[in-house]
Amino acid sequence: MHKYLILIIFVLSLASCTNEDVYIDPLDEDVYLGGETSIEGFFINIFQQPASNLSQEELTLHLKSDQAFADIFVSAPSTHNSGLGPVFNQVSCEHCHVANGRSPFPSNTDNLRGLLFRISKPGEDEMGGPLAVDNFGTQLQTKANFGIEAEGKVDWSYSYIVGNYPDGNEFMLKNRIFRIYDTYMPWEFTNLISPRIAPPVFGLGLLEAIPEEQILLYADPEDIDNDGISGKANIVWSVTDHTFKLGRFGWKAGQPSLIQQTAGAYHQDMGLTSPLFPKESCENQTQADDYSDDPEIDLELMKITTFYAQSLGVPIRRNFEDDQVKEGKKLFRKLNCNACHREAFVTGDQSDKPFLNNQKIFPYTDLLLHDMGDGLADFRPEFVANGYEWRTPPLWGIGFTKIVGGENANYLHDGRATTLEEAILWHGGEAEESKQSFKNLTKSERNAMIKFLENL
Amino acid sequence: MNFKLYKINDMNLDRFLAALLVIFLLLGCGKDEVNSNSQDYSDILENIGNNVILATYEELDLKAVILVNSLTLLENEKTQDNLINARQAWRDTRQPWEQSEGFLYGPVDQKGIDPSMDSWPVNQTDLDAVLNSNAELTKSYIDGLDGTLKGFHTIEYLLFGLNSDKQIGDFTERQYQYLKSCAESLKGSTSELFLSWSPSGDNYISNVISAGDENNSVYPSQKSALEEFVVGMITIADEVANGKINDPLVQKNVNLEESRFSQNSKKDFADNIRSIQNAYLGKYKGSEGKGINSLILSKDENLNKKVQEEIIEAIKSIENIEGSFTSAIFNSVSSVENAQAKVRQLQQTLESEVLPIVSNL
Repeated sequence: MHKYLILIIFVLSLASCTNEDVYIDPLDEDVYLGGETSIEGFFINIFQQPASNLSQEELTLHLKSDQAFADIFVSAPSTHNSGLGPVFNQVSCEHCHVANGRSPFPSNTDNLRGLLFRISKPGEDEMGGPLAVDNFGTQLQTKANFGIEAEGKVDWSYSYIVGNYPDGNEFMLKNRIFRIYDTYMPWEFTNLISPRIAPPVFGLGLLEAIPEEQILLYADPEDIDNDGISGKANIVWSVTDHTFKLGRFGWKAGQPSLIQQTAGAYHQDMGLTSPLFPKESCENQTQADDYSDDPEIDLELMKITTFYAQSLGVPIRRNFEDDQVKEGKKLFRKLNCNACHREAFVTGDQSDKPFLNNQKIFPYTDLLLHDMGDGLADFRPEFVANGYEWRTPPLWGIGFTKIVGGENANYLHDGRATTLEEAILWHGGEAEESKQSFKNLTKSERNAMIKFLENL
Repeated sequence: MNFKLYKINDMNLDRFLAALLVIFLLLGCGKDEVNSNSQDYSDILENIGNNVILATYEELDLKAVILVNSLTLLENEKTQDNLINARQAWRDTRQPWEQSEGFLYGPVDQKGIDPSMDSWPVNQTDLDAVLNSNAELTKSYIDGLDGTLKGFHTIEYLLFGLNSDKQIGDFTERQYQYLKSCAESLKGSTSELFLSWSPSGDNYISNVISAGDENNSVYPSQKSALEEFVVGMITIADEVANGKINDPLVQKNVNLEESRFSQNSKKDFADNIRSIQNAYLGKYKGSEGKGINSLILSKDENLNKKVQEEIIEAIKSIENIEGSFTSAIFNSVSSVENAQAKVRQLQQTLESEVLPIVSNL
C-alpha cells in the first residue's frame, strides 16, 4: 500500500513540474526591470548596489568608480582633487545625486543641493543648441570659490492650483515661481530659465545600450498614426564624435552619450575642465581664473565615473503579486500611459560592457520628446526640443524615491510634485487625454495606479 | 534567480495535494529552513535602533559640546594644556562619528548633513583666503560656507597642522576664532542629526523600530530593516578596505589618507569596524540587548562565531599596523595589507553568508 502511494505521489509530483503548470502572469514579466543587472532588496541604499551580473573584474572596477562618484573637489592649487570652480553648483557628484537617487528639493535657498538652473537667451547657437547668456553661459552657477562672486542667487514664491476630480474629491497642486537675483552682472528679464532637479543615476548604461533604431521606431514627430502622441527624437551635438547624434540623457535628452553627460556635469556643475570640455565654464567671463591647469581632470576619470553609472543595478519590482498592484498596471496600460512610458526594450549586443548586452529591460520610457503642455513647459528650447517638450523619464525605481531621498525627494524635472498623484496631474499636452482618463477613474482605481507606480 | 509563480486554481486538486505531500516529505527528511513569516524581530530592531544608532548619535552630539567648550577655552586661554585638551576633544568627537558609519543612511544623506560634517579634502586654498580676509568668523558665517571649509577635517587641519606638528605659537588669532565657530557649526550638525533620528525630534528611528507596520513608509517588512543593517555593515567594510586603506596604500600618496593631520587614521578605521561590531552585537557602551548575532546564532552557530572572530581580527590587525598609517604605507606595507585582508574577509563573510540569511527570512 505504502509503495503504491509513494509511486503515485512520485508520478504526480513529476507531472506537477511540467511547464504547463508553471504559471507566469504576463503582467509580471517585468519583475526584473533591469534584466540580469537587477538587484533584489528593500533598503535605503538600494540605488547604490552594483549590478548583479558583473564579473569579478568589473565588480572591482565598480568599487573603484564608486570612490570617483564620491570624490569632493576643491579650489586650485591643491595636492588632491584640484580645480573646482571658479564658479560651480556643487563639489561632488554625490552632493546632487543623493544616495544615487533624486536630489531632495532644497529646504532653503542657501543650499540648493541638486537643483540647478539652465539659462539661455531666446534663439539658438551655431549648433542649434541653447544660446548662451552673455557673462553667464548656459547654466547659472550659484556657488563660487572664495573671492569670486557666484553668478547669482535664486529664490521662489508659490502658486497653487486647486481642482476637483469628477468624483468630487479635491486636489491641490503647488508650483514654484523661480526668481534669479543678486547676479554678479546685469541680468535681462528676457532670459530663459529652466529649473532642473538631479535625477537618479542607475540603469543609464542600459538606456545607452538600446539600439538607436529601436528608439526611432517609436518616433512619430508628425503624429502620422493620429493617436495624439508624437514622440520626437532630439538630435544633439556630440563633442566626442563632432557630429549630430540622437540625444538620450538629461531632462530634454540634450546629451547623446553617458560620457558626455558625465563630462558635462563635471564641467558645468563643478567647474572642472576635461578633454571633452577643455575650456572653463566661465571662459570669456570676467571671473575666469588664469591658472594654466586645464584640463583639470583626465579622460580616465570621465570613463571611471561613467562606468559607475553604467554598472549600478536596477531594483526589481516588489509586491507585484498584489491584486491592487495588478489592477494598477492594467489601468496604466488602459490609460495609454505606456505610449510614452514604453515598457520594454532589448539592449543591443554592441556595448563593450558585456553585462549591458542583450538585456530585456523595462525602463518605462521611450527616450523621446513629448509636448507636455503649458503647465510643465520651461519655454526654453534645447536643440530639437522646444519649450514645451520633455524627454519621457524612466519610471523604474520610482517607488523608492522617498525611501532613498527622504520626504523632500519629489517628482518631475523641477521637483514640484510632492506625490506621484500630483506628478500625474501635472501632465498635459500629449498626455492630456491620459490625465483626464486618470481623473475619471474611481478613487480606488486611482489608488491602484499609484500603488503600481510605487511598486516599480 | 527565477520567480516561479504557481497559480493554484489552475492545477487540479489531486496534483496539488500530491505536490503538498511531496513538500511535506521533503521538509520532514531534510534540515531545510522553514520560512516563518510570523517570526517577530522587534526586539532586535528596537535594540539596534535605540541602543546603538540613537545612542551613538547622542554620544556624538554630547562630545561635540565638549569640543566647542574646549575650543572656546583655547581661544580665551592659549595654553599648551588647552591645546592638548582640544585635540583630545576632537578625537573624542571623531570616535562616535566613525562608529556611526556602519549605518550611514537616512537623514545624514537625505538632509545633506554628512557634507557639512565630514567633507574631505579640506579646501586649503580657500581656507587660507578666508583667514586672510576681513570676514567676520561667526558661526553663521561658517554655516554658510561649503563643506570643504568646515567640519571635522577643517578643524583637524587647523588644530594639528598639515604635518601634525603645529605648535601653540603657530596659531593666529583668526585661526582660534575660526576653530571655535567651526566647532559650533559642527555642533549644529550633530544636533540636527541626533534630532532627525530622535523621538524628541523628527523620529526617523520609528521607521526602524516599527518596520513592517502597515503605515511604515520606509520599511515594508522587518526583514527589509534587518537587511539595511547588514548592507550598512558591508558598505563600511568595503569603504575601509577598498577606499580608506587601499587608495593611499596603492597610490603611495599620503594626500589620500583621510585623518592624516591628526594621525588618527588607524583609530578611524578601527572605529568603523567597531560600528559593525556594535550593530552586530546590538551593544553600544555597555548596553545590553539583541543584535544581528541573535538572529544568526539561531540559524548557524558557527557562522555567528566566525563573524565575531573576524570583527575582532579586523580591529586588531588595524591597530597592529606598525607606526602611523602615514609611515606604514611606505615602511610596513605587509602590516597594512594584512589589515586590509582581514577587513576584506569580514566584508566577504557579511556579504556571502550573513546577508543571504537575512534576505531569506
